[in-house]
Formats: sequence, structure tokens, C-alpha cells
Amino acid sequence: MDTPHSRMVFMWYCNMSMPDSKLDLLQGTLDLMVLQTLDAMGPLHGYGVARRIEQLSGNEVLLNQGTIYASLVRLQQRGWIVAEWGVSNNNRKAKFYSITKAGKRQMKKDKSQWGRLAAVMGRVLAAAAEGGKG
Amino acid sequence: MSALKEVCARLISLFRREDLDREFDEEAQSHLDLAMEDYVRGGTPAAEARRLARIKFGAVEASKDAHRDSRGLPWLEGLVYDLRFVFRGLRRDWAFTLTAIVTLALALGLNVTVFAVMNTMLFRGYPLVQRNDRLVYIQEQYPSGTCCITYLDFEDWRAEAHSFEGMAFVGEKNISLSYGEGRSVDASAFTVSTNVFGLLGVKPTLGRDFVPADEASGAAPVVILNHRFWENYFGGRGNVIGASVLVNKAPAIVIGVMPEGFDFPTQFDVWMPYMRGPDVNRRAPEMFQAVGRLRDGASLQEARVELETINHRLETAYPVSNRGVVPKVDTYSQANVGPDAPVIYGSLWMAAWFVLLIACANLANLTVARTVGRWNDFSLKIALGAGRGRMMRQIFVESLALTSVAGVLGWWITKWGVRTWAVETASIYQILDYSLDFGALAYLVAVSLAAAILFSLAPMGRLLQIGVNDALKSDAPGVTQGVRGKHLAAVLVAGQMALAIVLLSGAGVLVRSLMNVVSANTGVGDPEHVLVGLLSLPSEKFPSTAATLGYVDRFEAQVRAIPGIADESVASTLPVNFGNQRVFEIEGRPNPPEGGEAVQFLRVGPDYFRVVESPAISGRDFNDGDRTATLPVAIVNQSFAASYWPREQPLGKRLRYIDRKKPAEWLTVVGVVPNIMQGDATRRQFKPLVYLPFRQAPTVLGVNFLLRTGVPPGQVAQAVRAEIQKLDPDVILKKFTTLKDSFGFDPDRMDRAHSEMGKYAAVAPIFAVMALLLAAVGLYAVIAHSVSQRTKEIGVRMAIGAAAEDIRRMVLRDGMWPVAIGMVLGLTASLAVNRILQSQLVGVSPYDPATMAGAPVVLILAALLACQIPARRAMRVDPVVTLRHD
Repeated sequence: MDTPHSRMVFMWYCNMSMPDSKLDLLQGTLDLMVLQTLDAMGPLHGYGVARRIEQLSGNEVLLNQGTIYASLVRLQQRGWIVAEWGVSNNNRKAKFYSITKAGKRQMKKDKSQWGRLAAVMGRVLAAAAEGGKG
Repeated sequence: MSALKEVCARLISLFRREDLDREFDEEAQSHLDLAMEDYVRGGTPAAEARRLARIKFGAVEASKDAHRDSRGLPWLEGLVYDLRFVFRGLRRDWAFTLTAIVTLALALGLNVTVFAVMNTMLFRGYPLVQRNDRLVYIQEQYPSGTCCITYLDFEDWRAEAHSFEGMAFVGEKNISLSYGEGRSVDASAFTVSTNVFGLLGVKPTLGRDFVPADEASGAAPVVILNHRFWENYFGGRGNVIGASVLVNKAPAIVIGVMPEGFDFPTQFDVWMPYMRGPDVNRRAPEMFQAVGRLRDGASLQEARVELETINHRLETAYPVSNRGVVPKVDTYSQANVGPDAPVIYGSLWMAAWFVLLIACANLANLTVARTVGRWNDFSLKIALGAGRGRMMRQIFVESLALTSVAGVLGWWITKWGVRTWAVETASIYQILDYSLDFGALAYLVAVSLAAAILFSLAPMGRLLQIGVNDALKSDAPGVTQGVRGKHLAAVLVAGQMALAIVLLSGAGVLVRSLMNVVSANTGVGDPEHVLVGLLSLPSEKFPSTAATLGYVDRFEAQVRAIPGIADESVASTLPVNFGNQRVFEIEGRPNPPEGGEAVQFLRVGPDYFRVVESPAISGRDFNDGDRTATLPVAIVNQSFAASYWPREQPLGKRLRYIDRKKPAEWLTVVGVVPNIMQGDATRRQFKPLVYLPFRQAPTVLGVNFLLRTGVPPGQVAQAVRAEIQKLDPDVILKKFTTLKDSFGFDPDRMDRAHSEMGKYAAVAPIFAVMALLLAAVGLYAVIAHSVSQRTKEIGVRMAIGAAAEDIRRMVLRDGMWPVAIGMVLGLTASLAVNRILQSQLVGVSPYDPATMAGAPVVLILAALLACQIPARRAMRVDPVVTLRHD
């Protein structure tokens, strides 16, 4: 089945169903970080969320601060966060995001999943390392 | 929940695009302001802070795109964009668009038409009847042939067989029916067991169904009317329920009218309960068939085995009547369409797919050719980093757009095609449900989708082969197609030609088979100048043989007086038709106890053999003196003489037929005549015949007349019609035509195995011609495109000395080698495919050399013609113009 045609059709399907974005792999991760940040810090504007994630992760997650907005609008559409225009500390107009109850539930779920995944990965990688030694 | 919310939000966002974009811009601006302030607070100068904030944010437009993608439905927006792009392209290239749509619509329409017809022929069964697929049709096979059922056998099945939910029987009966003061009509009736409509699951639309008491002996006779008959004869009046009518002069009550469109088992007028006659305990075959409904879970095979077991027991119990009698259990299509129906309609379906494949190959080639101009564009895009997926999607969207339009047109073609088929093939013996249902529509959608995928594969494949730097390497517009593209086109052309050959040779042998039937030697001389017709004499007005013969005498006297008519005769059966089979006995050779052989007995008037131009070769013809009171005489044909008196003189010998096990009078043979085709469905063999004088006949079933005309028959037809009308307005003239025309294909005259042959042989050439045309057009498109791509090359060749003739030969060679390959493949395939047509071939081999030689010749001529046009264009290339072009 692995003819150029079948591969081609498959590729076409992939392109059809997913937006072509470099963040694809990290999309879920970034979303969880945004939820966590808003939960910990309370209502925050986009710049604030981006700064916070940068501080915590170095520059590993966000290549550009602008990419945070794709995540914010997505979370908003899912009803996990809400947004409201307000005024910042130094009197700047900004859009403030805060986490909703559904968002908190989702965050809890994602966190435990991440915990489990991390634990499993840790075990597997450790075992592989031992096997390599022995 | 959140998933649903998200979809809604995404959908809404599509309509608020500008608002949301503006909001994003504001938010981005506020973000930049906040960031800049941070930098300024950290001691960075304002200009530098602004720059840093911008760098940190990244490309605003890219973020905006990501924002749009994650809030909206990017694929839908992409699709809309693609559609717009595709439509613009198709409108510009209207010639291609039109060709593609017409080709596809025809191929799709044809395919779905055949599918719907096949579905109807093989699986649908009767209209209005519930669960047709569980119904089986049962007859018995007697040593003398399959036809009938013995009523008592039926009763035994009904009592003993467990694989049936119920079983009913139907038999034919001709009746005369009159109502009130109205004129009497001859109606056709089915005598049925009273459970028949319950078994079929159809209720009368007016009045009540039969109940078991209606068939009890001594019950008041009742009838249920066919809707059509009710409208035609009773004017569709509701008060007909409870009305008293006369059936064969005996009173009967109308109790019901069946729903419109309901006919069972063939197109008849009236149903009435089957009443057992006085010979209630006689086991004798009657003109009946049974219909059974299989119990849930019981298979056709189980039912067959069960009835066979019962019949085995009956054979031992009643050896005289039941020896060698086996039940025949058939599905709808086996019983009503023919044993080879699946092969016939399956192969037509296959042929329709061949045509569709050819059409797809054409479109693939056209699309590749059309997009070749866009290759540069494509490869430039790829070099710039565009996804190939996006471009493939464009190609597929284009295919889909074309097939959608073609599909809609195809649906109209299907509607028209199925209606035409239904009208052209209508027969009162085949009740079929041709309504187009959801299944046909779903099939159309599926096939259209398959076609779209099929013909976008080739251009997509080409797209994959484009290298990143192809466009950058080849310098100018008009990059040649390249070796690979040419290969692809050649492969498609070869495939088309192969399929076309298979269809041509299949259609060829079928047509030859049909021709062998309709133009077989019938033994009749010059049938173009013989007018024939059937006189239908209402039985109430002509109740006796004497009355009928009296009419025939008057008729003959009148008609012979019409100028232009040279000779006239009457016959019980016209040439080629089936005569009445009777068991007979030759004097001095008593039949064995299990019965003798049967031959056809025909009744003909004086001069019959002169009219059919087959003069008696020995002995004498019948004359006016051969009447009821005179010596019973007979004439036999050569085939009879050769079979039964091979070395003796037949004249003066005596034979007699056996009627209901009792011998009739001895008949003295007074003449031997040449053979005339009679009673062989496929017209291969002259059967032994015995002719009796028309006026010595104890019964007259139908009066066929034959008029030999000295002038073109059309000139006297009107006079004959007028004479019949004048003689007795109640006599109806039917099937009035020339004898030659009456020899045409008539499915009702064929045996079961060949009854569908006419349709088959008529439809197959349509497919073959379509395939040939499409394949030729496809070849033309490929060659024309290749020539236009190679204009420069041809110019160079001519400039360095090639003659126009060389160029032509080059183009033809390029075009014809895939044709040659396809032809070889196609001929090989036909040898395999044609074998499945075997059952429908009369007097022609599936590998008929004439057809196998003719099909390639036709194909080569078509292909040469298709290549010739572009070849001429190539010859006219002016080297000066092409070389100056750059």
C-alpha cells in the first residue's frame, strides 16, 4: 500500500484536518501552562501571561510572545478562560484573562495526565538506561 | 460540552472575522505598549525599547494568522478559497470544463442507469409486495418440460413443507366478463388461492380481500379487480364493490379493487378464487405456478431440498402421474427474468464501469495536459515552501467540482435512461419496479466520488514528481511534458484502448448472435410482401367453431377481392411462432405405455404454402374440400418425414394425435412440404411439423391471416383494415404487420434462457460505441497536446531537413504504439471476458474470428482518425515562426 499515491492521499488528509503550525506538538502543553498561570496569578493580560511563562521556562516554550494569543483565543472558545477589557497598573488599556470553573476542572485533569505521563516516561527512560548499562 | 461550544464559537468567528481581527490588533498594540514600558522602566531608551518589544513579540501578521487559524475553521476557509480559485480556472478554460462535464455526466448516468436496471431486474421483484427477497416461485418439471403444477402436489407441499411461512398458487384463465347493460369484454383472469394477497402483503385499496370461505366448493363466486381494468372498464367508480358481474355468463360479485400499480404475477385484469372442479382427485398438471414465502432463517436451498423430498415420496405413492416430476424453486429473477440474468445484467454493469474508467482516463489526461501550463507555477510555489498538500487539495477540489455538476446531470440522464428502458422493454409478462430510490442516489454519490478520486490521481501523481528546482532549471514557459508525463499518458491511452476492444468484441458477438436469430432462414420466401394479422373474435359473439369458420369464410371472400392482394390464407400459428405440441402415434407403431413423442400440430387454410412460397413438393395442398365432414387429412414437413419415415414414402400413411390420453381420428398424409421455421426459440433447427386443414379443426384458438401482396404491402394495409372494420366492428385486428417484421426479436417468443437476449444485444453496442468515441477523443487530446508542446522541436526538425511526411509519421508513431499495446491487451482480455457471454450466443463462438478481427480494425481506424488531425497540424508547423518565437 505504500505507493506514492497512497502516501500522497494520506498527506493530503493530514493537511486537511490540521492547521499547519509549528506549535502543534506543544499546543496542549502551552494551553496547560496558560491555565496554570492564570490560576496561580489571577486575572492577567496577554503580555503578563507571556512574561510569566518566559520567566518560568526560559525561552523553551514561547518563540515569540505573539504566539500566546492563538492559545488564549482557543481556550476562550472552549470556555476555559474568559476575557475582559480593563486597565493595567500603569493605566494602560489591556484585555484581562481569568480562568473559569470549567477551566480549573480541565487544568486539574490535564495536570494529573501530565503527571502520569511524566512518571511513565521517567520510569521507561530510567529502565532503558539501566538496560544499556547491563 | 466544551467541544460543541468550541465548534459553535469557531463557526461564529468566521462571520466576525473583521471584528476579531481589529480586536487582535488592539490587543497586540496594548501588548507592545506594555512591553515597551517595561523596557523603558529598565532604563532602555524609548526607540530601542520599541524595537526590542517588537522583536520579542515576533511577526504580527504571523501571530494574526495563527490567531485566525486557532479561532476559526482554517480548512473551511481554505476550501472556500480553493473553490473560488477552481471556479475561476474552470470558467476560463470552458472548453475543458464542458468536455469534462459532458463526458462524466454521460458515463455516470449510464453507470447509474445500468445499476438501477440491474437492481430492478435481479433483486427488486414486484412493486408494492412486501419483502420480495423472501418470495420464491415454484413450478414442476415434467418429463415433457417445465410448465405447470399438479394441484394435489401443491396441497401436499403446503401441508408438509416447513421452510415456508405460506404458499399460494396462481393460474391463468381467459374469461369473458360483462357488467349491467354494458358490452361484454374478453378479460384475462388469474385463478388464485385465497391467501395470495395476504402472502404478498398487499391489501385491496377498495373492498375486501379474499377469505378462505371464497374458495370452498359451493361458495358464491367473487372477483377482485386490477386497478387498471377497474379504471378502463368500470370508469373507476367506487360503487362497483358489491356489484354483480357475469363471468363466462355466470354471476359473480366484485369484492375488491387492488391498489394502483399492483400486478401479480403478470399484467392481468381480474383475480378470482380457484375452485376445484369435479375431477378434484385427479393428479394432472394444470397451468399454475405457486409462490411461497420462505420462513425466517430458511434458505432457498433448504426449501428446494424439502420440496424435492416431498416429491420423491409422491413419486412412490403415485407412480402413474408423478414419475419423474421434480419441483423447481426459483427466485424472482430466475423465474421471471431468466436463469442467466445475473450474468447478463452483471456484465452490462461491468461494461458501464469500463466506460466510466475510460472517461476517467480521458479526464486524467486532460487535467494533466491542462495543468502542465501550471507546472511552473506549482514548482515555483513548492520552491518557495508551499505545501504540496494544499496544491493537491486544489486539484481534488477541481475534480470534485466537476463530478458534482456531472453527477447532477447524470441523475437526470439516469431518470431518463431508466424511464426509456422501462418503456422500451415493457412486457405484460414482466412486472418490475423501476422507481429510483435512495439506494440509487447513494450509489450515484459514491460512484461520482470514486470517479473524482480516480481522475485526480494522475495529476496528483505528477505533482509529487515535481522537484523543488524544476521550475528554476527549465528556462522558459512551455516546459515540455517530460518522459514521465508521456509515459503516464501512454499508459492511460493503452488502458482505454484495451477496455474499448473488450466492449467492442463483446458487443460484436452479441449482435451477431441476435442477427443469427432474427435473420435466420425461416423457409418462407419473400416475407416482405406478406401482410399478417391476428383476428380477435369476442367469444360471446362467436361461441362456436361454426360461427368462427363462418366469419373466416366471409373475411376471406372480402379480402381476396381487394386489388393488389395475390393470395390469402389463414393459420393457427404464424411461421417462427410456437405451434401447439401434441403427443402423436403413427399407424402400426403403437406408443410405449409412458407416452409417445410430441410434435407441433398447425392448422392452415388452403393456399397457405403458396402464400409463404413453399409449394408442396409431393402430394397435394389442402383445398376448400377439406372440411369437417370429409376425410381427415394432414400434410407433414420434410423434417417430419425424415425423422419418422426416413426410407418410406409418407404419402398415404396415417397418424393421429392423443388428446387427454384418448386418441383422435386417424389422419391420412396427403402431402410433404419443405421445412418452415416453427417453435425453435433460437431458430437453429427445423422441427418436425404436422399441418391440419384449418376447416377440419374441432377448435379454433386464434385466426391469423396471411396476405401475399403484388404491390408494396403499405399500399393495401388500409384497405384490409377498412374491410375488417366493415365486416364486423366487434372483431379486433391485432399485430397487423408484414411477415418479415413479425420475424423480429420478440422476448415473449424466446425460451427462458434467451428472453433477455434482445435487450442485451441492443444495449451492448451503445456501451461499445461510447467506449470507442471516448477512447478516440482521449487519444486525440493526448496527441494534440503533445504536438502543441513539441512545436518548437518540430520546427527544429523541419529546419534541419525533416519532410512534412516524416513529421506526420513521427506523430502517428507516437500515437499508435500505445494503441497497439492496448489492442493486444484488450484482445487477450476479450478471450477471457467473452466466455461469460456464452449462454447468450446463438450460432456464434465467443471467439468469433470475424469479430475478433473486426474490433481491432474499427479501433485502429478510429485511432488513426484521432491522430490524423493533430498530425496535420504538426505538418503545418512553420520552422521560421517557431524558431523566431523565443
